[in-house]
Amino acid sequence: MTMTNDVHARAETLIAKERVEGISAAEQEWLGQHLRECARCSENSNATQQALRSLRTLSVPLPRELAARTQFRVRLRAQELRAREPRWRLIWAMCGASWVAGAATAPYVWRGLEWFGHRAGLPDLVWKMGFGVWWALPAIVAGAILLMEGSERGAARNAGGAA
Amino acid sequence: MADDKQSLVQGLRQRDPQVLDRLIEEYQYRLFRYLLYITGNLERAEDFFQETWIRVLERGHQYDGKFKFEAWLFTIARNLVIDWQRQKKAVSLDSMTDPEEGKGFEIVDEKAESPLHLLLQGEAQDRVQASLEQLPAAYREVLLLRFQEEMQLDEIAKIQATPISTVKSRLYRGLDALKGLLAGGAA
Repeated sequence: MTMTNDVHARAETLIAKERVEGISAAEQEWLGQHLRECARCSENSNATQQALRSLRTLSVPLPRELAARTQFRVRLRAQELRAREPRWRLIWAMCGASWVAGAATAPYVWRGLEWFGHRAGLPDLVWKMGFGVWWALPAIVAGAILLMEGSERGAARNAGGAA
Repeated sequence: MADDKQSLVQGLRQRDPQVLDRLIEEYQYRLFRYLLYITGNLERAEDFFQETWIRVLERGHQYDGKFKFEAWLFTIARNLVIDWQRQKKAVSLDSMTDPEEGKGFEIVDEKAESPLHLLLQGEAQDRVQASLEQLPAAYREVLLLRFQEEMQLDEIAKIQATPISTVKSRLYRGLDALKGLLAGGAA
């Protein structure tokens, strides 16, 4: 029986597809039939099988005490994080309290700044911007703390980590 | 099974040291092997191994259990390597992850004698190791994830942050290249 190149190309595609993403039952049946009849494609299929078997049997010896050393480092870091938790709780509580106080006193601060702005002869935009800064102050402080925290951690990682 | 996942999510959220110890033990081989494949360097793989678990500790609350833990773990490891590589060289992520552009995702070790060579010893493994060394790292990575880790295509796509079609194409090309290299070595 003569086979066209298209048939072999299809077989070749299916051999790889079977391993990579799977093939339908009909494709499987067609491929099985073809492999029984075609020595070249059968050899190709065996080569693929062999390559994957080799890949699967490849082993990597682990460095000594890798897990223990990692567990130790992780525990140290966990301790560090736990030690920082109360400080963070305090910061968030202060931010929260500051926002609540800000919201409660906003009308008075607004009127106060308005009075001061007019008395000092400032343009409206200036005292209104002052109000904006006053309102955003807790967020700005919290953001600055987060940034400082992030840069500290980055520096620590660069110094002792995957450098 | 769902209970296991739930207790894992809970343990990571609470930074439970026992859960982390168990995870490190359980995944040490697979994670180290993956890191070794993508970095091609023993010391670097060790560094990234430890750094990955530190990151797991710090970001454990972000794991929601929707995907397999190993997919999340490998994503963290991979991102660390890419971040480091970005800092080291001012190259784009695309050129690092796409082997069609230059060498692709290949960390060149300035002082390396032979990257995978020192670890993958034994006569039977020599040929496979030599073939793997010649493959672009992005191909090595997908071959490992698919055929050693036996991950699904969508999981690999998630780890690599690429479309499934790209994963498939890398797998086909990687498999073809590996087959060719092994056949060439045998001849």
